[in-house]
Amino acid sequence: MPVDDLELSYRQADSAFHRMSPFAKTLYVMAISLAAIFNSSLYVGAFLFLFTLVCAACFSGVSLRTYWSFGKVIMPFILILALVFPFFYNQHLAAGSSAIAIRTPIKDLTWGALGFGALLALRFLAIGVSGLTFAFTTHPTDLVQSLSRRGLDYRFVHAPVLGLVLFPSFLQLARDISTTQRIRDLGQEVNPITRKLLRLKHLAFALLVLGLRRGQTQAMALDIRGYGAHRTRTFMRPLPSSRAGTVFGWACFIAGLLYLVLQLGNLAGKMPWDL
Amino acid sequence: MPEPALVVEDYSFWFKLAEGGRALALDGVSFEVAKGELLLVLGTSGAGKSTLALNLVGIYPDFFGGWNQGRVLINHPERGMVNRRQLDQGQRFRTVNMLFQNPEDQIVTLTVEEEVGFALENYLVPTSEIGARIDRALGLVGLEGFRERSTMKLSGGEKQRVALAALLALEPSVLILDEPTSNLDPVGTAEVLDAVDRIRDRLDITLVLVEHEVDEVYDKVDRVLLVDNRKVHGPYSPRAFLEERGLSVRDDMGLWIPQAAEVGLGLCQAGVPLPSLPLTGDELVTAVRATAGPTARANGSPSPAVPVAPPAPERPREPGETVIELRDVEFSYPSGQLVLNGVNLGIRRGELLAIVGQNGSGKSTLAAQLNGILKPSKGEVLVHGKPTTRYRFADLARRVAYIFQVPEKQFIRNNVHDEMAHGLKALKLSPEEISARVDDFLESVRLTDRRDTSPYVLSHGQKRRLSVGCMVIAEPDVVVLDEPTFGQDWQQAQRLMGLLWQLADNGAAVVFITHDMRLVAQYADRCAVLCDGQVICEGTPTELFSRPEVLARAKLKAPPVYHFSRELLGEPLLSTADLQSRIEEHARGRSGTFL
Repeated sequence: MPVDDLELSYRQADSAFHRMSPFAKTLYVMAISLAAIFNSSLYVGAFLFLFTLVCAACFSGVSLRTYWSFGKVIMPFILILALVFPFFYNQHLAAGSSAIAIRTPIKDLTWGALGFGALLALRFLAIGVSGLTFAFTTHPTDLVQSLSRRGLDYRFVHAPVLGLVLFPSFLQLARDISTTQRIRDLGQEVNPITRKLLRLKHLAFALLVLGLRRGQTQAMALDIRGYGAHRTRTFMRPLPSSRAGTVFGWACFIAGLLYLVLQLGNLAGKMPWDL
Repeated sequence: MPEPALVVEDYSFWFKLAEGGRALALDGVSFEVAKGELLLVLGTSGAGKSTLALNLVGIYPDFFGGWNQGRVLINHPERGMVNRRQLDQGQRFRTVNMLFQNPEDQIVTLTVEEEVGFALENYLVPTSEIGARIDRALGLVGLEGFRERSTMKLSGGEKQRVALAALLALEPSVLILDEPTSNLDPVGTAEVLDAVDRIRDRLDITLVLVEHEVDEVYDKVDRVLLVDNRKVHGPYSPRAFLEERGLSVRDDMGLWIPQAAEVGLGLCQAGVPLPSLPLTGDELVTAVRATAGPTARANGSPSPAVPVAPPAPERPREPGETVIELRDVEFSYPSGQLVLNGVNLGIRRGELLAIVGQNGSGKSTLAAQLNGILKPSKGEVLVHGKPTTRYRFADLARRVAYIFQVPEKQFIRNNVHDEMAHGLKALKLSPEEISARVDDFLESVRLTDRRDTSPYVLSHGQKRRLSVGCMVIAEPDVVVLDEPTFGQDWQQAQRLMGLLWQLADNGAAVVFITHDMRLVAQYADRCAVLCDGQVICEGTPTELFSRPEVLARAKLKAPPVYHFSRELLGEPLLSTADLQSRIEEHARGRSGTFL
């Protein structure tokens, strides 16, 4: 199985982020996301991106090359945001502004428009980098354990771990079926668009049949190993938790929340419903 | 009578049918397995072996439906013999548990440590105990030092041993192993069987082993249970089972039997009885020497003609023209992992070429180069002298047919007839011609009565025959098969390989990837051994098996007949039929001496 399929999995290391509890890391990601989504300043956007980048480079124990190996996949999307949207931009998007941000036909490019594109790109970069830091440094079982301790049924929260383990084999199955379709030239007698639809329909059906069959065996394997035998379970893996990490997580969250309040304050009386 | 570990009393089981109603799967099954015993369960594909195994642990009917009647009693460490239905899930699976065929289906966590500890955590074993149990279980399967390893980076054999360790950590009294080696290469198989030996040495555990290919295990098992047509027969002692049923086990029921026993039974039928039925090569050598003596008998009389293992069909001596040529082929995945490294290979018409090597050696990647599924990173693959990169993919696929290991992956139509006809439509044949040819092919792969059935609901053997039939119906120049006889019983495997022989005789080049050295010995004209992405040996099966350094490097093993025929005759043979004939000739005084 190509290793590329596993890019999103947990990376073993000993770093500040690895020592943080999943909850503290969730606070960090939430703080970055809140601030990035409600931010309308290019400077703050740049700061957020740089901040997440420094956290990733210096405190996650994972090389930036690893971040890049996933980042390059979403880079086209970010470039589209940064470079294409400005052509459709109409005035600065300000909270409460009556002008709409995007409109056709294409307008001349302005600095303001480019700034708007950059802001969008920085927003997604900051959220993306912090999200990857979470994914690379959080052992899936720790996430299960953390949520289980907060009262959620472990059988449900274990699903993401199963997804992570099973995803590559499911992807391989889809690849094999697609290859078969090409080998056997499925849809040879119809036009390319109909062929594409036909192949998609067959892919969905074959994945359903084969996926269900495999799922049944996996369900058996889980049953005989006691999955769901009791309402709760023990966890041999100690849940990471560092005081510094918890302080950092809460500090980020409070800062993000304050920024949000500040932004919402600026909006007071300017929203469409404030007549 | 030794203390029983498992008692099955007049047990029947019915599957629930999707369209309503029920289908009988096990009919009045009764048998006992003694404590500490290793029981081998034999049966043809689809005979009900796995259904029996799943019923013993209670997956059927308690978790996946169906109806049952009768009792399954398990020797519980504290409660003694108890009906498994009286045990709750936790107690039951800690008493009797089951290892599945495919390790990929059982791995549900990211590291070895978590995988082995997974069930312990679910059964609320205190965390202070878990570490020691994991170490003990990993020690039993020979994976000390693997605790921190990622499960995704293990070989097939290692994964299966991790899955086995996960069950051993629960310390069950009875463990059922459902074809644990069928997905593994020879080295993975040896690892798992070594682990089984170690478990038997160190634990007082009862093992029920369901297996197709029995060469490696037959002399180790205590008793044999036969599953046939929803009923069970036995248990027998391994020797008594073969003595009683003779070669009909292979020829009528289609089961694989050890090669040494195959020769012994064949000789017995041919009127050259041995003192006792041999189960291993050593026993065969001793028995033959004791019977026929070191020199040929002067007055041996010919015996009546009896059926022997089917001899290899006559093959054209000269291979045909080269259809595919690989020149300095290199291939890397986008991650940079080099999978093929400077491969040079020619594939000729009229021959069966076996590609062998351990898992991960690059066999499937090499096969995928042949019809352009993958393109070489360096070098070129020429089909009829033209690089694959210059072909339209569909055109190339029609010339070079590729057949997957799992047949379901290549079905694209709703019924067997359409599946078969699909390949012919591209040839722009008239509907009458298509219909006639499909009917012929359905007959030749014995699927005429299933022409309107969905391919997905066929039996495993039928699926395999359909997958081959629908790819070869368009008469490709080259047929590439990945593990063609995987999961097939002896009869199905022989028929399928016979079909491939016929294709080669008609001028096609047949390339098959396999781990089965018996298949290679019996059918391949030539072998290419892959190791770390390179072809390290190319030649006939005899040439390959005569090079121990190549076998060791590629982690392959010659079939048993190769070794014991060499010991007996001083000259290695590849088929039991040939060896049997030579011993018969000798016994009748027509040939030289045994060593």
